[in-house]
Amino acid sequence: MDPIREAELMMTRRQLFGRTTLGLGTAALSRLFALGGLGGLTQLASAFDGQAHHGIPGLPNFAPKAKRVIYLFMSGGPSQLDLWDYKPKLNDLFNTDLPDSVRRGQRVTTMTSGQARFPIAPSKYKFQHHDNGGDGIWVSELLPHTAKIVKKLCVIKTMWTEAINHDPATTYLQTGSQLPGRPSMGAWLSYGLGSMNENLPTYVVLHSKVSSGKPNQPVYPRLWGTGFLPSEYQGVSLRSQGDPVLYLKDPNGMDRTTRRAMLDDIAALNHRELGAFGDPEIAARIKQYELAYRLQASVPDLMDLSKESADTFELYGKDAHEPGTFAANCLLARRMVQRGVRFIQIFHRGWDLHSDLGIDMPSQAKDIDQGCAALIKDLERTGLLDETLVIWGGEFGRTVYSQGPLSHENYGRDHHPRAFTVWMAGGGVKPGMVYGQTDDFGYNIVDKNGAIIDPSVDRRTPGAVHVHDLQATVLNQLGIDHTKMTYHYQGREFRLTDVYGNVIHDLIT
Amino acid sequence: MKHSYSLLVMAIAGLGYAAWPEQGAKPKQPEINFGRDVKPILSQHCFKCHGPDASKAAAGLRLDSFAGATKALDDGCAIVPKDPTKSILIERVSAKTPAMRMPPANSGMAALSTEQIGILKAWISQGAKYEKHWSFVSPKLPAIPAVSNPAWCRNPIDRFVLEKLDVAGLKPEPEADKDTLAMRAALTLTGLPPSQSEQAAFRNDKSKDAYEHYVDKLLAKQTYGEHQARFWLDAVRYADTHGLQLDNERSVYPYRDWVVESLNEDLPFDKFAQWQLAGDLLPKPTNEQLVATGYVRMNLTSNEGGAIEEEFLARNTFDRVETTSTVFLGLTVGCARCHDHKFDPIKQKDYYGLYAFFDSTADSPLDGNIALPPPFISAPSKAQTAELAQKHAQMERRLKSLDAGKAAAWFEAHHKSLILTKDWQVSSVYTSPNFDVAFEKAQPGEPGQPDAQWKAFDFVPGTDYNNIIGKDSSSIYIKGTISATKAVEITLGVSSDDAVRVWLNGTLIHSNKASRGVNQAIDKVKAQFRAGDNQLIVKIINGVGPDGVNIRIASDSDQLIDNALAAFRRTPQNAAVQNELKKTYFQLGPKTAESRAYLALTKEITEIEASIPKTLIAKEMATPRPTFILKRGQYDQKGDPVDRHIPASLGVLPANLSVDRLGLAKWLTSPTNPLVSRVFVNRVWQQHFGTGIVKTAEDFGSQGEWPANQALLDYLSVSFMNNGWSIKKLNKMMVTSAAFRQSSKVTPQKLAKDAENRLISRGPRYRLDAEVIRDKALDAGGLLVKKIGGHGFKPYQPDGLWEGSSDPASSTHFYKRDHDLSIYRRSMYLFWKRTSPPPAMITFDAPTRDTCTVRRSSTNTPLQALTTLNEVAFLEASRTMAQRLLSLNVSDEQRLARAFEITLGRTPQPSESKILTNALSRYRKLYQADPAAAKNLINVGDAPQPAKVSATDQAAWMIVCSSLMNTDEFLTLH
Repeated sequence: MDPIREAELMMTRRQLFGRTTLGLGTAALSRLFALGGLGGLTQLASAFDGQAHHGIPGLPNFAPKAKRVIYLFMSGGPSQLDLWDYKPKLNDLFNTDLPDSVRRGQRVTTMTSGQARFPIAPSKYKFQHHDNGGDGIWVSELLPHTAKIVKKLCVIKTMWTEAINHDPATTYLQTGSQLPGRPSMGAWLSYGLGSMNENLPTYVVLHSKVSSGKPNQPVYPRLWGTGFLPSEYQGVSLRSQGDPVLYLKDPNGMDRTTRRAMLDDIAALNHRELGAFGDPEIAARIKQYELAYRLQASVPDLMDLSKESADTFELYGKDAHEPGTFAANCLLARRMVQRGVRFIQIFHRGWDLHSDLGIDMPSQAKDIDQGCAALIKDLERTGLLDETLVIWGGEFGRTVYSQGPLSHENYGRDHHPRAFTVWMAGGGVKPGMVYGQTDDFGYNIVDKNGAIIDPSVDRRTPGAVHVHDLQATVLNQLGIDHTKMTYHYQGREFRLTDVYGNVIHDLIT
Repeated sequence: MKHSYSLLVMAIAGLGYAAWPEQGAKPKQPEINFGRDVKPILSQHCFKCHGPDASKAAAGLRLDSFAGATKALDDGCAIVPKDPTKSILIERVSAKTPAMRMPPANSGMAALSTEQIGILKAWISQGAKYEKHWSFVSPKLPAIPAVSNPAWCRNPIDRFVLEKLDVAGLKPEPEADKDTLAMRAALTLTGLPPSQSEQAAFRNDKSKDAYEHYVDKLLAKQTYGEHQARFWLDAVRYADTHGLQLDNERSVYPYRDWVVESLNEDLPFDKFAQWQLAGDLLPKPTNEQLVATGYVRMNLTSNEGGAIEEEFLARNTFDRVETTSTVFLGLTVGCARCHDHKFDPIKQKDYYGLYAFFDSTADSPLDGNIALPPPFISAPSKAQTAELAQKHAQMERRLKSLDAGKAAAWFEAHHKSLILTKDWQVSSVYTSPNFDVAFEKAQPGEPGQPDAQWKAFDFVPGTDYNNIIGKDSSSIYIKGTISATKAVEITLGVSSDDAVRVWLNGTLIHSNKASRGVNQAIDKVKAQFRAGDNQLIVKIINGVGPDGVNIRIASDSDQLIDNALAAFRRTPQNAAVQNELKKTYFQLGPKTAESRAYLALTKEITEIEASIPKTLIAKEMATPRPTFILKRGQYDQKGDPVDRHIPASLGVLPANLSVDRLGLAKWLTSPTNPLVSRVFVNRVWQQHFGTGIVKTAEDFGSQGEWPANQALLDYLSVSFMNNGWSIKKLNKMMVTSAAFRQSSKVTPQKLAKDAENRLISRGPRYRLDAEVIRDKALDAGGLLVKKIGGHGFKPYQPDGLWEGSSDPASSTHFYKRDHDLSIYRRSMYLFWKRTSPPPAMITFDAPTRDTCTVRRSSTNTPLQALTTLNEVAFLEASRTMAQRLLSLNVSDEQRLARAFEITLGRTPQPSESKILTNALSRYRKLYQADPAAAKNLINVGDAPQPAKVSATDQAAWMIVCSSLMNTDEFLTLH
């Protein structure tokens, strides 16, 4: 009998009850990479348990619009004022003080709270109006490629967050909490929805090179971690240096035949132990090693771009030939989507420009512009865009006033959490849409009449999108009611959106 | 709460409860316990709107208290005791129409099942008693139960275990064989396999209590403290970096080493807890007690550019409160940061009452991005302290053997000071309206002014004189005669508090209108001395506060000699003065064997002192910060002021305790505290058996699991306290129980009736923790270095992990691995960078140490298999293990038997030998045909390659060893 099949048959409820909460801990064979999904597990557990799970009903809760997510995270906080949020009136206000009526005593970081003045720094970059199939949209000259796909984008100009420093703000977007310790969005989805493939991880993270050579602000495994969820749901970093997955490669001097033979011997020894002790965990171990063997073949296959067409490289640009560039990562993302990876996150750093926006913005934007546009086009031409939700954005925006010296050619910008721009595409979001507006300074969120509004995290504030609202909306597109995907830990049902968040129905089809 | 609920269903089924008819004659009813049976249902389905959070009490109804539930509301009483039919609660939860049914469809809560409604009815029939949640009632020593097979029982644990097995109709498994027990006990107590000799001694010990002796030996090993410390370090989130943004290095490892040492010395748990929480508040705290307060400083910190101090003060304190609550009380209080707890009786005010104990430490909320944000202390290890004491004693002996008179005579004969000073005098104090005037105005005594009222002054150059003026805005003059043997230029060193002016022979040679302390600066002043007597006048001008002066005239060494000699002449019998002279003699006198030995000693002492680590400690501010409720947990939304207090539901802090961290610590570890002992004992049980008696080790509140065997838990926790909080005794009781010693064989019957082994119907069986797996591999390879304590080590790691995830400005941006034997140290000493922890550890479920973890998850992923198959340390260990085997002058068959001993602690079965013997010859053939591949394979790790052993043999055996290290048995405690 096929040892894997046999192992599967050996599976019993014992494997469903490990050392973790909810009895979903150890070695559930069907979930080595969160395979199979929770719905199935619940049924399986119920079948053995004679009762339903209380915490989490079967997922998805309703028919999903998107099956998967690609999240392009611009770490450091890109300047919305130099990319998306066009404020022509500022040109006449160069180097004048930001009116108190605009700042309204709102807190600023201690990097600029000691500045004698808050002088207005208009963007030095030119904006052009583009047809997006709707009312049109202004896009900066820094994003020429992205400007050509605006018909596909749903651009939110009124994202906001309470966090004003990088670490809390990034942790917030990734995990729904400013304090470390919660699962990341990708981990939640791996846990809640499971995998769509048997040979690759469910949640993959990619890191992109930064041409400026200034990758300021760290991005670390906590941001794709599992918090209190079992660690199998954490994102797996695909590296462009060394083994793409840690320890994937067999040692020098060991060929695949030898590895196969060795694994067969290990399996034989484990089978004897299984016979002697009868613990189904041993069967799980046997399968674990088989999956490792398969992963050793599937990952190199994924990373091998040699069979991609010249057309494709034309689309993504010549950067895509160089492993680790944002463009190459976007191409890999498309390949992962084709292979059934559920959640792909690409990080690009270096956006924390407290000074020198006049010098560094062009290279930052150039790093990502063509890759973003190519990814959307590629997903569309391969018919995958409809079921893939693509998100672009950072952890907060940047101030309209200059941090440090200001000239027409160069300026700096401090962190600005009260309004920033994020876009989404595919996955059932409205294409060609611009959502929300800010005041003439790009400082506050305003209503349709231009009156400043103070958005609330407690209640839905029309025209504004809070971090938890974005998360709720993303989950919604995947068929998940964000209030229902919870995990019982430390006496409490935790969820990605804490106790907040509203689905922004205006954004979705 | 499905677990406790399912237990009840089992119990009820056993008593025929499931057949209880809806109406009609009452059969025998099972005793319903509010906490175990009813509260989980209410808290899961009702408390969100009708629970302890007073602000949310919908329709004015609260179901968390008898008074609330029986209150007459508009449409009747939710609960009418003894009458379920009149109780509106029953009507509403069983309503057929969704509009009437509770909980409402839109609440996200599931409707109650028939069984649950049955339980509520039975409870109401029995009087609807609201008993206090079990864990909030102090444990009492339970009666030892009668059981079916007293002979099986080795200690009281077994009585409680067997009682449950009897009810379930299960029999314990037979005792595991000696080899299995030897491995099991060694792994669970020390985290390492037994040594060959330890195992042999145990095998050959035929006495009745051979196992108990073996366990005693394990408990006495240093590796015991290291392994046990690991669980504590998870709980307190110990790490070597700050954890946020730059994630710079933090120096606090003496705390980690203190934990190891305390456990090895079996420091009673109450002291262990008190020192950590409040060692700084103990009367005259020892160094050790201060090092222990590193616990308070263990929270994540940051100094991110632009961070607001007050915001981080709140974040840090949240972290401390929530960790302390989970570690000691097993309660999750985090919810109450923003509002009254919905399930447990913890009010928001209580949360900030606890918060107030922790928000007034003297450390800055922002860490300055430095390794040692104050306060910190030097923390010599015991070895360092002993070594220092020994060196100091040697130094004393050397000093004693020298005669002070001889030293003085030698100096007098050989040292001719160019400069001698005499006749030092001091003027009276002149007060001025302000500092400027005090500095400018010439007073009597200054050259060109009338003479002052001079008084003699016992002035020694090179010495600090503090507060000779003693008044603000005042000045004073000091005058002395300096005799030079010839004309000479000397650079004077002048320190002053505050300003200073100096005249030599009537000429102003220095003037500095400084505001400073004596220790802050030395002004260099060139002075031309003439042969014969010179007159030096120094004016000191004080602004505000303390004042002082120090004038150095000779070169440092001349000055030393002059001073030592002068002092000796004044008081030749003074021991300190003698010693000073002798030290000077060794240092500046003739170069002899004695002086060289003495100087070597001082150098060694300096080096030891420099190597003593410094560690973060807690210190209380002189005046505590006022604490306020923070609305919704927002640091800038202050509500009502709050005093330090413990949660009201747990009582009040006894009046004899101080209202500070020390009082809190003493309350926690008082024998009447219902939680602390239970919570700790449960975690120790979890360590040994894989699952706690309360499975939710982090939550003993009403949302946590009901204990699988409360009598056992209470017995253990009361006897733990009665045994003087001895952790070693507790461990011993558990691992010497018959329950622990059972075979871990899983039979179909046991799998069906006790799938999770919660009844302990067999011996423990679970995957080993990350650290144990790596340590076992190193041990098998003969590589493990058992050095205790010290700076975290950095072993092999794939390139770019730190660099790729951190800011280039971080002090932990570049990973520089160690190149000495420290890379073979036990995993618990791994340098722990919170934002990029050692990958092999994380892959095997080690927590990141960002938050308190008292229960690790145990997962099974292909990445784990890849780690033990391909990571350098594992490959290297299999290579050196192959070398070990090949160095034995025995047959391959015997080598293989030895390989099983080393990795699995037992001899192989014939079928196993066959598998690996065949494999060995297969690999031999393969590598004989391809020697280059063999060379490549064994070219891994730093460990030296023995010249004599053939690469082919090594490679073939290496794969065999690696195979054994990848068996389930190697990775599992069983």
